[in-house]
Amino acid sequence: MFKFPDHLYTDVRIEDVYETEIVYSTGEIEESKIRNYKAAFIRVFDGEMWYYSSISNLESIQKEIDSLSSYASPNREIDNHPIVNKLQVTKEKLLKFEDNGMEKIEIKRKHDLLKEHFPLLEGSTFIKNWKAAYVDRKVNKEFYSSKGSEVIFDTQSTGIFISMQFGYEEKMFSENYQISYDNFDSLDGKLENFKSFIKQCEDFLLESQPVKPGKYTVILSPSSAGVFAHESFGHKSEADFMIGDEAMKKEWAIGKKVGSDILSIVDSGNISGSGYTPFDDEGIRAEKTYLIKNGILSGRLHSGATAASLEENLTGNARAVDFEFEPIVRMTTTYIEPGNKTKDELFSEVKEGIYVETIKHGSGMSTFTLAPSLAYYIKDGKIANAVNISVITGNVMETLKEIDGLSDKLEILSFVIGGCGKMEQAPLPVGFGGPYVRVNNLNVQ
Amino acid sequence: MIKEKYINRVKKISINVTQTKIDSISHKDIEKTGLRIYKNGYIGYSGAIGRYEEEELEKRAKDSLNNKMPYQYNLGKNLRKKEDFSSEIIKEDNLVEELNELLGALRKEQPEFYFSNKFNLIEHEVRLLNDNGLDLYYKDKYIDFILIFKEKTSPNIMDGFVGLNGRKYSRKLALENINQICSAYRNKVMLPNKKVLPVVFSTDDMLPLEKFLEDLNGDRFGSKSSLLSNKRNKKIFNENFTLYQTNNPNDCIVPFFDAEGVINDNHRYPLIKEGIIVSPYTDKRISNKYNLPLTGCAAAEYDGMPNLGFPKLKIKESEKTAKELLGGEMGIFILVASGGDFTPEGNFATPVQLAFLFDGEKFIGRLPELSISSNVFHMFGDSFLGVSKDTMNPLSNNKFLIMNMEVSKI
Repeated sequence: MFKFPDHLYTDVRIEDVYETEIVYSTGEIEESKIRNYKAAFIRVFDGEMWYYSSISNLESIQKEIDSLSSYASPNREIDNHPIVNKLQVTKEKLLKFEDNGMEKIEIKRKHDLLKEHFPLLEGSTFIKNWKAAYVDRKVNKEFYSSKGSEVIFDTQSTGIFISMQFGYEEKMFSENYQISYDNFDSLDGKLENFKSFIKQCEDFLLESQPVKPGKYTVILSPSSAGVFAHESFGHKSEADFMIGDEAMKKEWAIGKKVGSDILSIVDSGNISGSGYTPFDDEGIRAEKTYLIKNGILSGRLHSGATAASLEENLTGNARAVDFEFEPIVRMTTTYIEPGNKTKDELFSEVKEGIYVETIKHGSGMSTFTLAPSLAYYIKDGKIANAVNISVITGNVMETLKEIDGLSDKLEILSFVIGGCGKMEQAPLPVGFGGPYVRVNNLNVQ
Repeated sequence: MIKEKYINRVKKISINVTQTKIDSISHKDIEKTGLRIYKNGYIGYSGAIGRYEEEELEKRAKDSLNNKMPYQYNLGKNLRKKEDFSSEIIKEDNLVEELNELLGALRKEQPEFYFSNKFNLIEHEVRLLNDNGLDLYYKDKYIDFILIFKEKTSPNIMDGFVGLNGRKYSRKLALENINQICSAYRNKVMLPNKKVLPVVFSTDDMLPLEKFLEDLNGDRFGSKSSLLSNKRNKKIFNENFTLYQTNNPNDCIVPFFDAEGVINDNHRYPLIKEGIIVSPYTDKRISNKYNLPLTGCAAAEYDGMPNLGFPKLKIKESEKTAKELLGGEMGIFILVASGGDFTPEGNFATPVQLAFLFDGEKFIGRLPELSISSNVFHMFGDSFLGVSKDTMNPLSNNKFLIMNMEVSKI
């Protein structure tokens, strides 16, 4: 297909993107567009340096390969270079969304689906402002390498995102509702859930009081637990932070005890939803990777470069946010595996604590943070009064050992708006989730 | 029918640095063109990345008029203005060599640290032109270089960062800045034994201003769902606190016009003046919908409808240096504070992963991990000390924002 230069490693990633975005603001249309483009990212490696280029004119790919290769120094041993050696040769076509692609659904149906939510929004006396968006994205990717890889696959997501500002007298509260699937039909029939969610937000607006700061046992909902897993530990499992760094290698040695015995955290690109990545942007097949298994550090996420450097197996986690960027090590769908308690059992064992149902954002360095939105006191094993919390914090490594209970059902969440940010590449679609997770001794402010 | 084009072009050279060495170089030159058509009170639009057929672009824009997207606002007209802030900061052919020299010096002068991340040299052009005689053009060229540092013995992913952003570059000054931060990092110091201390932010740190981004949003403000909705024209902040929405390229890297072609006097609009709330930030639709002043805060994707965007915010500087604002006290300079937030009622709390003790002129040493807290009405009210007239370093346009806050060790 392309004439790859001799004595260099070269790969080409072609993206064919179809996107729809529809936005209404308090009933008025604000955006309605279909975006469709093809573009490519090219990499050339001479064993010392990588040379990248992103282009929007596919006819120029060969010219760009030739141009990049002119900067590089031909290397007769390139095939024996550890990185090049590590990269798989894959020939596969995996088109999951050929028959139910988003481009086959007329835009009017997408508008109509979104508009079904408006009466519920307009019927609330407490919703002062709202914005409702329908978003879908289908990407067909082709990957070709000088080693002989030829991979063609697709990914797809569709969903609804509604941001709402509630107000009553001087009290204000903002919350978002989001559902996302990989097919349009699954978006149908979710209005009752949305209605309940609005009611919950209204109650929260009227009843919530500032939290009494202190240390609490906190139960995280599956979505909050997923953010916690992603931010507190997932990013530390991205192996690009470890290359050539002896202190990190020692600190993050496989086999080290890092969490409580019941804790297992997984990343997998094979799970349907917004983190679905059957092949990464180096053409590598997705693997199910245990980051922590039963409290023991068990694995990390890799690109070809990091897997070669650390002499570990590829995991399929080299991802780029779009054609303008190079692949770097990223998560796909990251989740905490469920435990053996029912949800009721988990709550019943807490005399006084905090339940976090939704969060606005989270972060994770040595100290992790979660900024709760809908949160409640737990009193005598039951969810009690609504509470306003700025931030929940804890030391990551201490907190992972403070997890003492997991419910028995796994929920995976998908998203159409937002995603993961790393360096300049954001937002990258990811999924996350978990069971209900109980953590002791967290600082709540 | 009026046609309008919105063109964005970004030329970018990115050099990736891993462990104080260059490992990749990337070139990008991407032009995105949006075509808007205004007809009978509606807007249609289409867009293209790279090369495009004019007729096909126009046909798609005309077709999208069928979406019946209302747009009944006055369009910009009879104005041609061009501002070019670009200059040769570093010769592109010498970029790799220059960065290698800088990294070589860092390996020698800071052998205890690894430095990583990207050096970006970015050339950005934005043009908005229409059949009404509007033709606005902005060009800029700048370095976007945030070097993450970590001690070689540290078990952390990162320990801090040094940002070198702007239109100026000097290896000598860059090294001085990095060396000063690394020296301070190595020197562990105690937190002064006081509950309330002057806390210092760089003016490009949006964390303390996030409540304004949220609650001065014109849509929220106008719909009475903002904490500040009922406080327009009231003095609720410090009389020395004036907050601008800025499209002034002298303040930061930003085009002097918004996506609807609005240009403000001196390219700034005061949202809060001497403690009094003047206006939320608005675009034409929001201004019209809620009868609010038009502040010129529209943003648009190349192929999308102009809508209310996020403003660049600037606090008016005081006549004092950071040292004078601190008045002899030691300040707590916040370098990394990740994960904090405001509650709906305006309470603020955040962990601080990296802070330095700061005497108003230099960073003295690294403080333990902290927690800081306050409330938006205190932070910019009685507790507001001001923004310094001096910049953080000779390569930077950023100044020091100082306010008293509760500070405690985590």
